Amino acid sequence: MADLFCPECKKFTEVVFDHSAGDTICSECGLVLEAHSVDETSEWRTFSNESADNDPVRVGGPYNPLLSSGGLSTVISKPNGGSSEFLSSSLGKWQGRGSNPDRNLIQAFKAIATMSERLGLVTTIKDRANEIYKKIEDQKLLRGRNQDAIMAACLYIACRQENKPRTVKEICSIVHGTSKREIGRAKEFIVKHLELEMGQSMEIGTIHAGDYMRRFCSNLGMANQEVKAAQEAVQKSEELDIRRSPISIAAAIIYIISQLSDDKKPLKDISVVTRVAEGTIKNSFKDLSPHLSGLIPAWYATEEDIKNLQP
Amino acid sequence: MADTDQVMEPSIDNPFISSPALHPRPTLQNVVSTVNFGCTLDLKAIVRHARNTEYNPKRFAAAMMRIREPKTTALIFSSGKIVCTGAKTEKQSLTAARKYARIIQKLGFDITFNDFKIQNIVASCDVGCPLSLVRMSTFHGEFLVYEPELFPGLIYRMKKPKVAILVFPSGKIVIAGAQKTDEIFEAFKNIYPVLMSFRKTK
Repeated sequence: MADLFCPECKKFTEVVFDHSAGDTICSECGLVLEAHSVDETSEWRTFSNESADNDPVRVGGPYNPLLSSGGLSTVISKPNGGSSEFLSSSLGKWQGRGSNPDRNLIQAFKAIATMSERLGLVTTIKDRANEIYKKIEDQKLLRGRNQDAIMAACLYIACRQENKPRTVKEICSIVHGTSKREIGRAKEFIVKHLELEMGQSMEIGTIHAGDYMRRFCSNLGMANQEVKAAQEAVQKSEELDIRRSPISIAAAIIYIISQLSDDKKPLKDISVVTRVAEGTIKNSFKDLSPHLSGLIPAWYATEEDIKNLQP
Repeated sequence: MADTDQVMEPSIDNPFISSPALHPRPTLQNVVSTVNFGCTLDLKAIVRHARNTEYNPKRFAAAMMRIREPKTTALIFSSGKIVCTGAKTEKQSLTAARKYARIIQKLGFDITFNDFKIQNIVASCDVGCPLSLVRMSTFHGEFLVYEPELFPGLIYRMKKPKVAILVFPSGKIVIAGAQKTDEIFEAFKNIYPVLMSFRKTK
């Protein structure tokens, strides 16, 4: 496909872009079509192991529509080399004292970013969580509540909305200031207020055991065969009359599949990864035992499964 | 004969659904009511003279009195307002409130029986078969809340009558928040076909 019109060749020709000189050159006659192109990529690359002192980057972060004025405000920094002249050092102090309307938001965003870092979440989820937090921050109703719980709940809802749910216990383990109960209550509070404000556009589906299967299996290091078998088993378990939390069912199925394979994961490992108590996994296993033959796919294991009835 | 020919076939395969007479009936479990006695009460004096009364001002600002028949508990506040809980029917709640009024009157306070109001009626019922809450929650609603991680039951908030219905996977349900007994039965009549359509067929 031809790119630009070359006046010498009088036709559209392929062009080559020379990065070192910034020239756009016709590939057929060598005429420079455009020169002095401005490089818009970043000027410096900063790595995390380098000291933060002589960071030569002259630009700030990207435009953040959630903060007022996009978060692009300029601050006066402290001068290097300790020139403790009255004016320059005081200016820095006065700047800091000014009321920044976004201070709470920025702090909260930072906290949410740390949390999502710990869980290894994608930027999309983190941004969604920030949006949700901003929406509730606008209504001054969450003053009295545990801030950690609110932020954790925002993250929880964001994960659910992106169809990559994280169990409340997982989020609980990351955030130290809250309990499962508080996150649950904060979540209900947020959902209720968002629905009031936006009018029923909260699309959070219910959780299914299958959503967590992939992640738990991968954390435990199970083989592909086992993962497939586990996912099939979970699909079938939805039809059964088992009155347990989907997470417990997922954990029990992982336990069963793993016991049937060559690489038997200890109950303790499964309990740690899924954050389900060992006793609960055992009880869920007992609940599932009558249906084992229906659950486990035939290509995976046969009559061994019936022999395998351990308490 | 002619009569049997005219009998309508039940539209869904379960005859229980189409004929309300065969539905299970919710049983009332608790009725909560409030009444205003119209004068300030001295809780210390009440607890001194009445039997079956406890008052711990550090823990809670009201005195708790219990009577045997109907088996109820009353929270008595110093403002003269009473909360009566534990009755099984509306009528029993009214009788109990009157009895409490009698007791307080006998202790020497000038009681008037004002503003008796039933605040909450709770009933439970069993639809008889296990239910699939997951399927019910996808059918949705802005009325439904189902969070199996947080609570094993599904919470259905009906708009008319304004009640909350807790649905459990065993098939047992709890209807709460009604102000009249009729609201309970109406709510159950509304919810029963919905629940039956989400049976777990094993």
